Amino acid sequence: MTVQETEGARAEKLAVPAILVEHARKDYGRAAGGRREAVADVSIVVSSGAIHGLLGPNGAGKTTTLKMLLGLVRPSGGRFEILGVEAHRSGARRRLGFLPEQPYFPTQLTAGEAMRLYGRLAGLSRATIAEQTSELLDRVGLDGRQKTLLSKFSRGMLQRLGLAQALLGSPEVLVLDEPASGLDPVGQRDVRNLMVELKNAGATILLSSHQLSEVEAISDEVTILNRGRVAARGHIDTLLNVAGETSVTARGTGELPVLARDLIKDVAVNGATQVFSVADENVRAVVDALDDGGWRVVSLAPKRASLEDYFSTLLEGAEDEPGAQRGGGA
Amino acid sequence: MLKMLAICNSVIADAVRRKVVWVVVVFAALLAVAAPALPSYGVGVMAPVYREVAIALMWTAALTVGLALATTRIPAEVERRTVFNVISRDVRRWQYVVGTWLGMVVVLGVVLAAFAAVTIGVGAFEFGEVMWRLFEGAFGVWLEVSVIMSLALALSCQFGAITSAVGGLAFAFIGHSVVGLFNLPEGVRPPWYWPTLDVFNIVNPVAHGSGYGLTYAIAMVVAFIAWSALWLLTGSLIFWRRDL
Repeated sequence: MTVQETEGARAEKLAVPAILVEHARKDYGRAAGGRREAVADVSIVVSSGAIHGLLGPNGAGKTTTLKMLLGLVRPSGGRFEILGVEAHRSGARRRLGFLPEQPYFPTQLTAGEAMRLYGRLAGLSRATIAEQTSELLDRVGLDGRQKTLLSKFSRGMLQRLGLAQALLGSPEVLVLDEPASGLDPVGQRDVRNLMVELKNAGATILLSSHQLSEVEAISDEVTILNRGRVAARGHIDTLLNVAGETSVTARGTGELPVLARDLIKDVAVNGATQVFSVADENVRAVVDALDDGGWRVVSLAPKRASLEDYFSTLLEGAEDEPGAQRGGGA
Repeated sequence: MLKMLAICNSVIADAVRRKVVWVVVVFAALLAVAAPALPSYGVGVMAPVYREVAIALMWTAALTVGLALATTRIPAEVERRTVFNVISRDVRRWQYVVGTWLGMVVVLGVVLAAFAAVTIGVGAFEFGEVMWRLFEGAFGVWLEVSVIMSLALALSCQFGAITSAVGGLAFAFIGHSVVGLFNLPEGVRPPWYWPTLDVFNIVNPVAHGSGYGLTYAIAMVVAFIAWSALWLLTGSLIFWRRDL
């Protein structure tokens, strides 16, 4: 294969989304209170090699959408593709690893037996399973637990095992539903680092999580669902940057200069460091005023909302306009 | 095929650790040991009656173990969500259903083989006769109970354990009494679509005759395949339509 051909193959791979969900719909038929539409219209495109966050309040349709993608729930409509192959076709999920929310395992098995079972289901050879089992259990912090019965595992340990089994066979695409659920802060950090490592190794991750800080820290793109529809989607910077405002970070102990005080919209105090929100056209004047007042300007950056604030604002807005689609970056 | 075997192995591992299987097997073995001491066997036909009792015990134990396995496995896997890790892995739903059933058939086969060995040993000790034909009896029971398990498993793809067990028992009952139930005249066979398990009636040739022979064994195997395929196909369709 020539260099051009290799680059061509890479470009082709990048052009095909790792996960494509188009107009997904799930209707649970007639329930006691009428038809229950769990997912009304959801489209998600996960670029190859990205970490894509899937967010939404409880009942937004996140888990149902994932289940439809994974063949656990029959869709009422829509198109689902994994690496360019229709998800319901045989072989489509061969290159995919899945961590369900609160993973459960047959408790009569040991950790090693469970890994062997899922390795065989993934079509791996005995030798590969043996090699990957010890490596993955070690990687998720379960080294030396191969022979422990799963009935003796804590919730956090089961979560770690869930991650290990999802990584069997080195899948190109990972679907992780609440991967940090049940883990202590150290475990959560480990999982976050693991996801970044996997991304750097070329894996694509679709991450459904309630932990907005986690999603904000590692996701390239997000899709926010509300009431079974896409409420917003796009690159995380595009969604969170506040147009026309700059964050000015400065250190100082004295009074703020009057001019600066008049032009500053908002202040966040963190000890001697303060972060001011300033309209873009006033930045130079504020910086000069702070400088004249003996303050030291540490940094200037486009103002960015936290994902938590963005999420709350979006959902509050949706309460007023049910079903309305917002956002729309990438 | 490898995926079905992996599921089959996991069912076997699960069954080995389940108390109900061992309790039934031990209880039935104790009954087999005690069987020769039971009174009123008849006049001078002790060994044939013993064989009849042994086959009845095998059938009862196998049905208990079979229904306990077939009616609980899938509902429990769905309820505990352990099935997610299987189905999400490019495993077709029919592979899951058939693999599960195969595991149960293997467990049942081992239980029946062990049980037949116990009854043969007791028979040899009590009557001085090695009753190899009891293996033939065990084979017939194995095929029949496997068919009943396939129906119970199919029902369990949608319903709970009790409904599935009742369905399995009803099938066993109707399957053996369809002629009497519908007052069919002597010698008249029910239409092909009426469920009948009469082909698996092997008590007389095994207990009182000289065995049922190869041709009859083949007929039983054909009936076993046909019935099992029908119920497993039904179960797979039910499970395929089900949201997990």
